[in-house]
Amino acid sequence: MALLEIRNMTHWFGGLRAVYNFNTRIEPGEIRGLIGPNGAGKTTVFNLVTGFYTPTEGQIFFLGREITGLRPHQIGRLGISRTFQNLRLWTHLTALDNVKIAYYSQIRYGLIGAFFNTRARREEEERIDHEARQLMRMLDIDQYAHRVVSGLPYGIQRKVEIARALATKPKLLLLDEPTAGMGPAEMEETMAFIRRIRDQFNLTIWLIEHKMKFVMGLCGWIQVLNFGEIIAEGPPEEIQRNPEVIRAYLGEMVEL
Amino acid sequence: MALRKALTPLLHWFRTRFGHVPVGAWLLGAAVAAFLERLLGPDLAYLLGLGSVPAIFGLSIILKTPSLIPSVLVFVVLMYVIPTLVVAWLSRALFLWWEEQLSVPVYVFLHVLFLFLVLYFWSQVDPYRLLVLRLLGINILLTLSLNLVNGWMGEFSVSVAGFMSVGAYVSSVFMVWGFVHDDVFGPPVFPEFLAPFAFPLALILAGAVTAVTALLVAVPSFRTRGDYLAIITLAYVFIVKSTVENLDFIGGPRGFMNQPEVASFTVVFIWTVLGIWVMWNYVTSILGKATNAVRDNESAAEMMTVDTRKVKIVAFLTHAFWSGVAGGLYAHVLGYINPSSFDLRKSAEILGMLYLGGLNSVSGSIVGPVLFMFLTEILRPFQLAKWLVIPVILIYAMIRRPRGLMGFQELRIPFLTRRQQAKEEARAYGVTGN
Amino acid sequence: MEQLAQQLFNALQWGSFYALIALGYSMVYSILMLFNFAHGDVFMVATYIGYFVATALLGLAVLQVLPFSNIVIFVLTLILTMFLASFVGIAVELVAYRPLRDAPRASAAITGLMVGIFMETAVLALLGASRKDFPLLIPPITFKIGPVHVTNLKILTLVMAFALMLLLHLFISRTKVGMAMRAMSFDYAVVPLLGIPMNTIIAFTFALGSALAGAAGIFFGMAYPVLDPYMGVLIGWKAFVAAILGGRGSIFGAVVGGFLLGFIEILVAATLPSTMRDLIAYSIVLLILTFRPYGLFGEEYSVRLRL
Ligand SMILES: Nc1ncnc2c1ncn2[C@@H]1O[C@H](COP(=O)(O)OP(=O)(O)O)[C@@H](O)[C@H]1O
Ligand SMILES: [Mg+2]
Repeated sequence: MALLEIRNMTHWFGGLRAVYNFNTRIEPGEIRGLIGPNGAGKTTVFNLVTGFYTPTEGQIFFLGREITGLRPHQIGRLGISRTFQNLRLWTHLTALDNVKIAYYSQIRYGLIGAFFNTRARREEEERIDHEARQLMRMLDIDQYAHRVVSGLPYGIQRKVEIARALATKPKLLLLDEPTAGMGPAEMEETMAFIRRIRDQFNLTIWLIEHKMKFVMGLCGWIQVLNFGEIIAEGPPEEIQRNPEVIRAYLGEMVEL
Repeated sequence: MALRKALTPLLHWFRTRFGHVPVGAWLLGAAVAAFLERLLGPDLAYLLGLGSVPAIFGLSIILKTPSLIPSVLVFVVLMYVIPTLVVAWLSRALFLWWEEQLSVPVYVFLHVLFLFLVLYFWSQVDPYRLLVLRLLGINILLTLSLNLVNGWMGEFSVSVAGFMSVGAYVSSVFMVWGFVHDDVFGPPVFPEFLAPFAFPLALILAGAVTAVTALLVAVPSFRTRGDYLAIITLAYVFIVKSTVENLDFIGGPRGFMNQPEVASFTVVFIWTVLGIWVMWNYVTSILGKATNAVRDNESAAEMMTVDTRKVKIVAFLTHAFWSGVAGGLYAHVLGYINPSSFDLRKSAEILGMLYLGGLNSVSGSIVGPVLFMFLTEILRPFQLAKWLVIPVILIYAMIRRPRGLMGFQELRIPFLTRRQQAKEEARAYGVTGN
Repeated sequence: MEQLAQQLFNALQWGSFYALIALGYSMVYSILMLFNFAHGDVFMVATYIGYFVATALLGLAVLQVLPFSNIVIFVLTLILTMFLASFVGIAVELVAYRPLRDAPRASAAITGLMVGIFMETAVLALLGASRKDFPLLIPPITFKIGPVHVTNLKILTLVMAFALMLLLHLFISRTKVGMAMRAMSFDYAVVPLLGIPMNTIIAFTFALGSALAGAAGIFFGMAYPVLDPYMGVLIGWKAFVAAILGGRGSIFGAVVGGFLLGFIEILVAATLPSTMRDLIAYSIVLLILTFRPYGLFGEEYSVRLRL
């Protein structure tokens, strides 16, 4: 059974067709790539899968269960998490709090526990605190735990965002342009990093990228989106040679 | 400037001598001072030609008749400063020892107890002080609960007066129907001596009903934020006021009275502490911090599994519940309410306390009302001028500190900070202990 | 039916008051993204100014001998009051908003509220003790249109309100400052290109809004002559709601919202006990906002951080 399956998904923003007849199956353990020029509809696909919009047509299945029309927090609970193209951290909070809040759905002590500071709450929060710090240590950001995130360097903020996404215990992690604003050296590092978290956390990863080199080195299967439609898909070598892909990218970014 | 220069050595002396005296010792000192004032205050005030005990440290007396400044100074030094300093100095070792021996909750409880004693003795001297302190407790509840929505959640709600009104009327109706012989509600349904025991029930009922009506503003908050939500909360205030005015059995615009005298200082104090404790617990829990996540980035919160609708409902309903409770206390402290006690001016007043103290801060929600009421009360003899001076001070405060005095930070209490640090070090090294 | 036609004129009259005041809220909002919570009290102060101006002008013997002295005095009162009221608006801007330009918006809301309370109290302290009756500027004449009675005052209010709105429209679309205001409401970034300092544009916006509130004050005073320091609270908040109903920051919306609120209120008052007026009116507002959260002419906006 595929981890994620999308059937004939189409989405309209008023009169704008952002995604058209999108199909895919993602198997557990994959690192999948979604590429395409700016405005092709990649982020919209992620927004549809995570429930920010309900597709105009089509169905989405996660672990064999239909999730079309669920709200994002419900989908998040089922095991899909993501990062955002432009960082969306909770800017007034510390890095640690950013990670801890992502444990929200795993909290069992309830409102009574929260209001009356019951033993159950203290124990659970202690456990979450411990787990969150461990997670941050694994990503090498534990020394920033008590810093307010808006004051941290951009690269660290990206990692905090990933730590936060991992805290929800996802099976599928969506990364929206994880290398935005990075140089070549950092890119190499990020590739290794993504492979590492895939193995460490038993993840399936679906990522959007702009930079071809990055996707080519990382993904086993790539889909190319242009004007909301898949114009090509296949393993990296094939995509690289595909004339349609080259045409779509021409002028957009010459530095393939 | 010159004043500051003159004070520097004094401050230095004070710091070296008293810098390490624990908070608890100060509270004990103040309690002793307040107790002494209760015993000797009236006589001393008479001797000094002050007539009666100066209500709030003589500040309004000074403003009204400056010639009494020396007498007031002598009174304050003899009655408050010396006993507090002496007792605090003498008892410091005891508290340092307790700090070692007692667990945090017990030690905190001890502080609350001493604070209660201070305020209790102080309020016994003068019915006016008693009134002011009870209103202060109520205002703290209102400000803190409003802070949940305006600070932690980042909305701009003005409905606090409306919530108060619902709570005030519901609790009043319940208490008058149950325990008072009244023209409209007839003879009491229950024996009158039960009234103080039923009052907590009345307050909880008031809070619960208020929370239900708050759905009127909480549900629209799913779809809209910011200014439009502010308008909806504004409409809520008008709707409540207008509804009450149209309900004849609770007096309509004439108001409602006859509330039994059940809101003593002790009762108000207990409810205030309870409210602070509950709301403090909430905002320090992860569930509560999710409110901050909704404020800072709602869509990220949703994605990170936070049920943002639930978070919003809980914030609004908690705000409404405690404002309703505060309204119930208010009605029984004053013994008379009418619809215009709860108009937008009331909301503006609470908003003033909130933004003066600072958003997203429990201590700010205590500091704000204390400072605000301190000002209004020393200016009370000047009646109208009070409402000229307070806006000026608030505007000045907002310009100087747009985030309020304690916005986004908490007061640091030394011994709690020390404990916190120890715990933090243990955690950072991955040692899980309690 | 006659009753209804009769009420129609009342609704138009109240709608004019609301619309004129609502314009002030909307204009400030459109360029500062901020509601001027002191605007209701600006209206109140302006009405008192109108009272003094009118009384003073009526006392001038020179004016009495002129032909059409009534009209001359009325026009002079209107112009002078609007002129003076605009300074009240500028003062409010200087005290409550300019020092907080970079502060969280909620802080500016508090200073606005406080300036309003200050003005109420100041007027109460200075003038509240004695009852002030707005002088009779134009003797009332009642026309009969079919079975409906209409006073010249109602017609005058309506006509003048529309004339002022037209003037405002011309000002915004034809003058340099007006165009700068419009540009600024779209994008702050263009302001340096306009050659007019930003603070000047903002001050002008406050001045214009307050001048319109001044006009509303004159018409209101002529219709309901007993002045009261709290009238700004009562009418100002409703005008504010009207501005919201129309859609934040939309000039056209403010006018429509003003008249809409006028109609809702008068309709409720005509059909139900008058004490229910506020209750129903605000409930309707709540309903409208529940289904159209951004008002009638406001556009949806992305959720922003507001602190
Ligand atoms: N909420 C929205 N409303 C209307 N149009 C949108 C919305 N979000 C995205 N779009 C449009 O959909 C298209 C695809 O956008 P997006 O998915 O962000 O592209 P990509 O991520 O591939 O660069 C763009 O033309 C964009 O303008
Ligand atoms: Mg994108």
